[in-house]
Amino acid sequence: MRHQRPLAIAVATLLTLTLTTAPTPANAQSAAAPNQVTNLTIRQADGYATLAWQPVDGATDYQIERTAVDATGTPTGAPTIVGIWRPNRQINQQAPTFADAGFNPGDTFQWRVRARAGTTEQPYSDPVVATTTAPWGNPDTPGEQLRTQWETAHAAQYTSDTDEYAYTAAIDALSDRVRVVELGRTVQNRPINMLVIGYPTPATTPEAVAATAPVAINCNVHGNEPGDREACLIMARQLAFSTDPRITDLLSHTTVLIVPTINGDGRANNTRGNSTGQDLNRDYSLIRQPETAAYIKMVRDYRPVAGYDGHEFGNSRAGDLPMLPPRHQNVAQPIFDQSQDMIEGHMYTKGAEAGWWACPYGCEGGGNVGLSEETILRNTLGLKNVANSLLELRSSGGQTRPDEGNTANNRRRKTYSALWTFHQFLDYHRADRNDILTSRAESIEIQAANTGRLVFRGSRPIPAHPAPHPGDSPPPLDAPRADLILDNAPCAYKLTDEQYNGARTDGPGGVGTTVAQRIAAHGWQVIKTNDGWYVPLNQPERGLIPLLLDTQGVEKLTDGERVYPTLTGRRNGPLTVTGFTCAADATINGPVTVQPGAALVATATTISGPVSANRAAGVVLADSTVNGPLQITTTNAISIIDVTIAGPASLTGNTTGTTAALLAGNTIRGPLNCTANSTAPTNLGVANTVHGPRTNQCAAL
Amino acid sequence: MSNPSRALHLVAVALLLTPVACTTTTDPKPPRDTTSATQVTGPLCAALPTGTDPGNPSFLADQPVDQALRWIPTLTTFEAALRTSGALTDLPTGTDVTILAPSDDAFAATFSEDNWDDLMTRHTDQLRTLLKAHLITGTHTIDDLVTAGTTATLDGTTVTVTRTGPTARLADRADAVCADYRATNARIHIINAVLGALPKTAGDTDERAH
Repeated sequence: MRHQRPLAIAVATLLTLTLTTAPTPANAQSAAAPNQVTNLTIRQADGYATLAWQPVDGATDYQIERTAVDATGTPTGAPTIVGIWRPNRQINQQAPTFADAGFNPGDTFQWRVRARAGTTEQPYSDPVVATTTAPWGNPDTPGEQLRTQWETAHAAQYTSDTDEYAYTAAIDALSDRVRVVELGRTVQNRPINMLVIGYPTPATTPEAVAATAPVAINCNVHGNEPGDREACLIMARQLAFSTDPRITDLLSHTTVLIVPTINGDGRANNTRGNSTGQDLNRDYSLIRQPETAAYIKMVRDYRPVAGYDGHEFGNSRAGDLPMLPPRHQNVAQPIFDQSQDMIEGHMYTKGAEAGWWACPYGCEGGGNVGLSEETILRNTLGLKNVANSLLELRSSGGQTRPDEGNTANNRRRKTYSALWTFHQFLDYHRADRNDILTSRAESIEIQAANTGRLVFRGSRPIPAHPAPHPGDSPPPLDAPRADLILDNAPCAYKLTDEQYNGARTDGPGGVGTTVAQRIAAHGWQVIKTNDGWYVPLNQPERGLIPLLLDTQGVEKLTDGERVYPTLTGRRNGPLTVTGFTCAADATINGPVTVQPGAALVATATTISGPVSANRAAGVVLADSTVNGPLQITTTNAISIIDVTIAGPASLTGNTTGTTAALLAGNTIRGPLNCTANSTAPTNLGVANTVHGPRTNQCAAL
Repeated sequence: MSNPSRALHLVAVALLLTPVACTTTTDPKPPRDTTSATQVTGPLCAALPTGTDPGNPSFLADQPVDQALRWIPTLTTFEAALRTSGALTDLPTGTDVTILAPSDDAFAATFSEDNWDDLMTRHTDQLRTLLKAHLITGTHTIDDLVTAGTTATLDGTTVTVTRTGPTARLADRADAVCADYRATNARIHIINAVLGALPKTAGDTDERAH
C-alpha cells in the first residue's frame, strides 16, 4: 500500500499550487511555425526556474537558451544554451520540464526553448522574460535579512567555519524556533553544531524532541563536497523565520535536525576525510572518530525517524540528483521499502514537476559504489530503523548542462538542487508521517524478534525503474557472498572484560575509545554477568550488532563469542534462572524467577506463569508471551519488545544506567507501573497497548 | 512568496540593486570600467567573478595573495593545499611571487581522492614540494614568462613557457586558462594541469563515491 496514497498526493499538489508563484507565460504568442515549441512557461523558485512547454512531435531533445537582460528586456549578455532536455528521466517523459539554475538569484533573464530532430534545430519558442527569485528573506526584516558568506560572495566563496558559527548563532538568537546545540568536537576541536528547529519552539530535551518523530539532515561529511551544506544553511534561515503556512505546518508536526558540518576540519582543508585522513562516511558503525561518534550519539538521543545525507558526485553521466536507500540486507524490509518510496514514490514525481532529474544512484558507470558497507551513514541509519537516503549533487554539468568546472554557476546549481531536495524531504515526512512511523515500528519488532539469517555484507537489489522508461541503470546487484551469510543467528555475543573495556588504538593519534563506549554510543542493551558481557541480538539494532561483534564481521570491533539458546521446546514446572539463560522457540509452563546476577533473554517463547526478576543482570524479551504478571526490580538491563503480558507489569528501582529500559510495542492486559528507575523507561516511539492504567515513569508509554 | 506585498518589495529592491543604467537617466557616462587596470585573459575568465562581482580581478588586486586565492572559485584545492603545505608562508615576508595555480578540475584529473587526502594529511613534505613546483619568485605577467621562454619554479625545476594561440603553454602540459590576476606582491595564473613530479593516480573511471 505504500505506493498508493492518492489523498496525500492530492494535498501535496494543492499545497504546491497555492504556495508557488504563478508561472510567467510567453506574451504576444505568435502563430507557431512548424515544430516550434509553444506554451513556454517559467515558474520561479528558490535559486532555480522551472521551464515547461508543449512537446513537439518527433523531437529528439530540446535546448534551453537563457540570455541576461536588463529591466527593459534588452540583452546584456550573449545567449547561452544552459540545458538539454530529453526524455531520460524515470517518469513523465512526455511532459517536459527543466529546472534552470546556476544564475545569480534575483537577476532577470529571457528564456527560449527549441526542439531538435536528431541534430537539426527547429525554431525557437517565443521568448519569456522574467526576474528570478532573490535570495530568500526580506533584507529589512530582522532574521530574514541574514545571509551566508556563500550568498554574499555570490558563491565565489563557501561559508567558512567561523561564518557558519556566527550565522547559526544569529539565527538562534533571533528565532524562537531554533536552538543550536553542540554535539561534540572534531579532532582539531571545531564544534559540531546541530540546529534543532520546531514551531513555535523546539522541544527542550532530546527525549522530548524524539517524541516529535524528528527528521535529520547530515549536510557535509566530505569536506570537499560542500554544496549541500550551503543549502542547509539557507534552509535553516527559511525554517527559522518564514511565515509561510507550509513552513509553520511542517514545524508543528516534527522537529528538523540540521547538522551543517560534521567534518569541520575536512571542510576547512577541503579534504574528503577528517584531519587524520579518515573518510568519515566509512566510520559510522565503527565510530573510531569523534565526529562520527557525535552523530551516532545524536541519533541515539534524538531518534530521527527519517534522514538525508548530502554528498557531491563525480560521475558526469548521472542525473542531477542521484539517490540511494539503505541497501544492506540486515536492514528491515519496511525501512528499505519506506526509503525507496521516499525516493521513487516522492522524489521522482516531484522532480518531474520541478524539472530536476532525480534518479537511481548507479547511473552509467557507477559500478563499484552504492553497496552495503554498514560504515556508510545511509546503511548505518537503515540498521537503526531510520528511513533515509543518500543525496548526490552531480559535480559537473553532466549530460544535460554545461560543464562549468567549480565555478559560481555550477555551485549554485548544486546547492539549489539540494535545497529543493531537502524541502521535498520535509514535505514527504509531513505527508507520510504515519507510514514512516508504522514502518519504523514494524522494523523494530522485526529486528527484536531475532529471526532469519544474518548477512555481513550484501545488498538488497534495486531493480531498474519500471516501464515506461527505466531511465538510468540501477546500482550493482551486490548479492551477499556465501561466506558472508550466517543462517543460524546466535542469541547473543559474549565479550570478555578485555574485549569490552580494553584499551584500543584505532582512533585519532592511535587512541581509540573502548568497545564499551562505542556500544553505549549506539545505545545497545548490554548484560553483565559474573562471567562476561553479553550483547543480546533481540533488540532494535539486531542487524548492526553482528557486523561489529561477530568474528565474521568485515569491519568489526572485536571477535565476540556466539552464544546460542540454552532453552528451547517445552519445559514444565517452575524455572529458576541462574547465569545467562537464552530461551528461543520455547514453551515454559510454570513461574520464572530470575535470580540475582542472572539474565533471561527470550524470543518466540511463551511463559505460562509470572515472571519476576530481582537484582538480576538483565531481562531482555521480544516477540513472546507472558501469561501472568511481569515484575522487574533493581535490575541492570531491561528490554521488553512486542511481548503480550497477560497481567500487570511493573518496573521498580531498576538501575539501567544511561541506557534506558525499553518497553516498546507490547500488549499489557493489566496496569503498567514504573517507579524509581534510575533512567525513565522509553518506548522508542513505538506505543504499547495497555489495558490498565499507566502510572509514574511509564504514564506516557 | 505567498505574501504579495513582500514580493513586490523584493522586486523593487532587486531593481534598485540592478547595476545597469536606467533608461530614464540623462547621464550617458557608462559605469566605471573597473577591468582596465587588471585585465585577466584566457578562456576560463568569463566564468569567474567579473565586473563588479564579489571577488572580481580589480578587487583582488588590492588583496594579500592568500586572501585573493580564496576568492577564485576554481582554486579551492590549490588554495587549501598551499595553506596546508606552508609553501607560501615559508617565503620571506614581502617576497614577490608568481603563482601557477592548477584548477580544481586539474587536481581531480591528477590525484585520486585517497591519494590526495593522504598527501594533505600525512605527507606534508611531498605536498610542499608539489606546491613549490607552482611558485616562481618575482611577479611575472604571462607575457613576460612567454618572452623569457623558461622559468624556474621554487622546487628547482625549469619550466618551459611557449605561446600557443591566444594563451601560454607551460612544461608542455598545462595551459594558462585565466592569466594575469594581480594581488599584493603577486601574479596569479590559473592553469589546467598540475605541474611537479608526483605520479598521476586518478583513474580514467575514477569517480568520487559517497
